[in-house]
Amino acid sequence: MAHLSDGTLRRMVDEPDAHGGADARHLESCADCKARYSTVSGDARAISSLLTAPELKVDIASAFNRVRTAPAARPRLGFRLPVMRPGSRPVVLAFATAVAAIALLVTAIAQDSNTFTPQTLTPVPVTMADMQALSQLSAYGTISWTKQPAPQIATSADDATAASGLPVPKVAALPTGVSSTVTYAAMGKATAVFTFSKDKAAAAASQAGKTLPALPAGMDGAQLTVTVGPAVAEIYGNMSKPAAGSDITQANLPQLIVGETTAPVATSSQVTVVQFENYLLSQPGISPELTAAIKAIGDPSTTLPIPIPVQFATSSAVTIQGVQGLALGDNTGVGAGVIWIKNGVVYGVVGTIKRDDAVNVANQLT
Amino acid sequence: MTTDRPDDGSFEALFTAEYARVAGIANRVLMDQGEAEDVAQEVFVDFHRLHSASAQYAPAWLHRAAAHVALNRLRGSRRRQRREVAQATKESDRTVDPQNVFEVSEDRRHVRQALARMAPKPAAVLVLRASGLSYAEVAQALGVGIGQVGTLLRRAEAALRKEVTSGTSL
Repeated sequence: MAHLSDGTLRRMVDEPDAHGGADARHLESCADCKARYSTVSGDARAISSLLTAPELKVDIASAFNRVRTAPAARPRLGFRLPVMRPGSRPVVLAFATAVAAIALLVTAIAQDSNTFTPQTLTPVPVTMADMQALSQLSAYGTISWTKQPAPQIATSADDATAASGLPVPKVAALPTGVSSTVTYAAMGKATAVFTFSKDKAAAAASQAGKTLPALPAGMDGAQLTVTVGPAVAEIYGNMSKPAAGSDITQANLPQLIVGETTAPVATSSQVTVVQFENYLLSQPGISPELTAAIKAIGDPSTTLPIPIPVQFATSSAVTIQGVQGLALGDNTGVGAGVIWIKNGVVYGVVGTIKRDDAVNVANQLT
Repeated sequence: MTTDRPDDGSFEALFTAEYARVAGIANRVLMDQGEAEDVAQEVFVDFHRLHSASAQYAPAWLHRAAAHVALNRLRGSRRRQRREVAQATKESDRTVDPQNVFEVSEDRRHVRQALARMAPKPAAVLVLRASGLSYAEVAQALGVGIGQVGTLLRRAEAALRKEVTSGTSL
């Protein structure tokens, strides 16, 4: 009989009964295998000792409650947008809040018509300081979801359409190097309400050592309601089989995302245009550039500002399918994307691809 | 986290059955209860968002994810050394033989550093097995045949031993 393999010997250390009697008899009679068994078991004991860890005492009920109450509004879908690689959750959260805050701000500016239904978009440069300042919006009121965003993975394009009510965009040809493995994601409508609170604002100002400017009547309790979605996305990359045996790090890195969502709709009550705009833009930390960019938006009732973190990406105007769009990133392949609005639907193509590839995919989308 | 999914009852059952083990796998890597439970929470939230709790592969997915997320934290964390120093101090406080404790602590510190340097699969096989998973469970978590586990484990142990032998009491 041939000598036992190292793998067999190793398993015999842990599970002596797992192998047949022939293996055990060979081990008994073979000096060579005995010597190797001794080495293997010695290593196993030593490594086992080194890998011991302090005893863990867990409270499963408390842990479950923590998971149940974990933030709901993290529409991460298990991946991170490649154009946003800050590697830091606070920065991502600040960015997301800045996006929401700017949407609310433009809504307020557009309040003449009391609704905001964008038809086109414009880039707005956002600095880290802007993000931090705008992310403090919750200190001045409450942001609540009357209908929480519930992104989900769909098993097919048809399921994604059924869940979102939107047709799934079809990519004509994938850029070189992008996996054809595709995962579908869908989300129904979600609605957020920001309610301004005079007391919270005063407390926040006081904490910062500042006095709140005199508030106009009606500001306290003023509400802004923003509805986003439905949305649908195709995610290309090796992440569609998150079952046993798949590599979770791969699941976190899609190569290309093609998404479409109904343009956000916002309505407001009680606040006036000038009061709300001046109020938000007067927050400490907002850069003059952002203030100028917001004020420079030609027709705020129909223009969706796309915040571009100045440290992470550059942007330029492009024509996509006959309408004006916005391209982000460059041709290095590190990360690029395009976004455009057509017939009230916002489309986006983003990934670890070249800017020109993103434009091509966007133009050929059907 | 949304709590209105139809399989929430199954999720709670899965959580109750697997939480201690998932946190234990992370603790094996990080040697820190707070961080280990943080990893466990992240893993369960991600699982709940993407999968059905009644899926057959659920435990295997959770075990593998716990190992990978914890190892990623170990690789990426600049706080690692501070944590290890604190851990070594804690252990030396409650042990009688200072020399022995110093060596054990040093060895564990080296072994975590070596784990962080290893390729994901060998590191995961060591962590999963050391966390008490059977050969069958390790095989399911890593998506390999049960007959391969012994070989993977032996190679990983040899590689780890080689990495840490120098400068330790191993």
